[in-house]
Amino acid sequence: MTIHRVIRKVQRFQGWFGSGAALCLGAGLYLGLIGSPADYYQGEVVRIMYIHVPLAHTSLIGYTVLALGSLWYLWKRDPIVDNMCQAVAALSAVFTALALGTGMIWGKPTWDTWWTWDARLTSFTVLLLILVGYLMLRTFVDDPEKEARYGAILAIVGFVDLPIIHFSVEWWRTLHQPQSISMRGVSISSGLLVPLVFMSIGMSLLFSYMLMVRTQLLYLDRLLHAKKGRLLSQFHLSKSDS
Amino acid sequence: MTSFNVIRWIVWKDFVTELRSRETISSMVFFALIVILIFSFSFSMDQQAAREVIAGIMWVAFAFTGIIGLGKSFSSELQNDCLEALQMVPEAKGAIYLGKVAANFAFMFLVEILLFPMFVILFNLEVVEGISILLLIFFLATLGLSAIGTLFSALTVQIRAREVMLPILLLPLVVPVMIAAVEATKGALNGDPLAMYEQWLKLLAVYDVVFTVVSFWMFEFVMDS
Amino acid sequence: MIACHGIGKSYGHFQVLHDVNLTVAEGECFALLGPNGAGKTTLLKILATLERPSTGHYEILGMHGLKDKDAIRANLMFLAHGTHLYDELNAKENLAFALALRGQHPTDLEVKQALDRVAIGAFTDMKVRYYSAGMKKRLALAKAMLAKPKILLLDEPFTALDTAGTDILREYVRERLSENGTVLLSTHDYDKTRPIAGRAGILRHGALEEIAVEALMSDDLV
Repeated sequence: MTIHRVIRKVQRFQGWFGSGAALCLGAGLYLGLIGSPADYYQGEVVRIMYIHVPLAHTSLIGYTVLALGSLWYLWKRDPIVDNMCQAVAALSAVFTALALGTGMIWGKPTWDTWWTWDARLTSFTVLLLILVGYLMLRTFVDDPEKEARYGAILAIVGFVDLPIIHFSVEWWRTLHQPQSISMRGVSISSGLLVPLVFMSIGMSLLFSYMLMVRTQLLYLDRLLHAKKGRLLSQFHLSKSDS
Repeated sequence: MTSFNVIRWIVWKDFVTELRSRETISSMVFFALIVILIFSFSFSMDQQAAREVIAGIMWVAFAFTGIIGLGKSFSSELQNDCLEALQMVPEAKGAIYLGKVAANFAFMFLVEILLFPMFVILFNLEVVEGISILLLIFFLATLGLSAIGTLFSALTVQIRAREVMLPILLLPLVVPVMIAAVEATKGALNGDPLAMYEQWLKLLAVYDVVFTVVSFWMFEFVMDS
Repeated sequence: MIACHGIGKSYGHFQVLHDVNLTVAEGECFALLGPNGAGKTTLLKILATLERPSTGHYEILGMHGLKDKDAIRANLMFLAHGTHLYDELNAKENLAFALALRGQHPTDLEVKQALDRVAIGAFTDMKVRYYSAGMKKRLALAKAMLAKPKILLLDEPFTALDTAGTDILREYVRERLSENGTVLLSTHDYDKTRPIAGRAGILRHGALEEIAVEALMSDDLV
């Protein structure tokens, strides 16, 4: 029953998250595309940063939420937490893919190539592989309890692995790549910072809003299946009695 | 004490089974030989080209054969539903994990030791000086692969499409092991001073410790509903 | 003692068990009947701590089935469809391995007696790979004899067993009952079950209804 209380509360607040996201993203887009100057070095191209960086941030936050939710699930076995994990994994995968895509678009004019084995791009690719693996794993298990448990295990192991992956890739890059293409050291002037902050907050709010809606959807779906199963077995029972 | 017994019995069982059936190690060795062959065709390698890529080829071969061994480690428990008996062991499941890691590590390491002379002969490598450091690299990297691989072998064995899912889930997670093993092996084969690739050995050691602990802990949840 | 309270289990859309309530006392043998797919094996697997019920809970020997699993496992033996035997090991090795994992170390004499009792003493050094299905069942039974569990769960125990094997099994079940053990078995073979079952029930569409043991004869029961 506590689950229903939580859901009612979420339903009351999710509207605020949605409108907050719309406001912040609107303001951020206006400031970013119209109200801010072009970058001294990169020109108009820099504006894709207002999309790319918030997407990347948000997907990392999403993965952190996934790992924490998975720990929580293994500890308490709340079904709705598992629904949340499934929702956040799918959203993170989408955000990570978008971050990679915008990163490639940004890389074409800046580095004159769609793809380079930059440390962060590579780490994000591995992150995307882990998330897609997580979603695939979930579809290959028949028992919903097992599905939730196995998913949680993979999410936690992957979360511990991410910093190690990032370090190893970064070391590997410094060995094999001249520093000049590295993105590090692009100083961000305050004119660029304000829209970036708006976009970051807006993207996180949007992510939270989508997460709330999707979690409820998955939870209701699970309830529906349970109810269907019960009705079916009652139907069979009554048929066999007559 | 009982947990130690469980570890010992699991290792004993895996070794006896392997000695009698010779399924795992022989299939691993032959698969690795084929991989080496394919690689040398596809890169049409002469000695000079080989020096550049040999470390990478070696570890791709080792990782793929390792996955074959890891997959068999738990799929062999499916005969007569033996996995159920393991799940019903009235002990912490970590003991089973450690036993399986020990057996998997031993098989993979043995296969690597058998295959390494092949690489030396086929690609004319000079290894006399670096042999001890190479063994250390093999040891650390193989431990990392088997520590996390054993967990995922147990996790994928009970799902559909397990043969595909084991590499799909495992390979992204062992990216650090692969990078570190390749870089360190390259250094050792080139005869570079140890200081130049020492960081990779440290990374491998950290990875081994972290993932033995994490997998030991998570294994409990794989085996136990 | 086994006590199930409202156990349900669903796999995705498919609800196997609906609401199973069952109490089996010490010294009692309960026979689970039901058509194929009724959920007999699923219920036994849940009670053997192999699967987690979707709803409800159960106690075995007064221990909570979701919390004290290791304590339950130490007192429980599940003879499943699969015999839990390793093909590459011989009979003695299989027994030693399986019991060692349970923390039990039977002496050579005890092992020999158990193997003689299930009448496969002549094949102790043969790999289980070359055993017939009935011999495997007997070896699994020998494992249960050595383990001396308080709770015995049997999934279709008579399958693949010949008349002599059936007698050995029933004799063993009676022995467990006389030592205050609890036995729960699933079966389709009413004739073979009737002499040992104290109570019986039919699983039908996920729920259990108890029937009289004397009724375990008509073919159109399920």
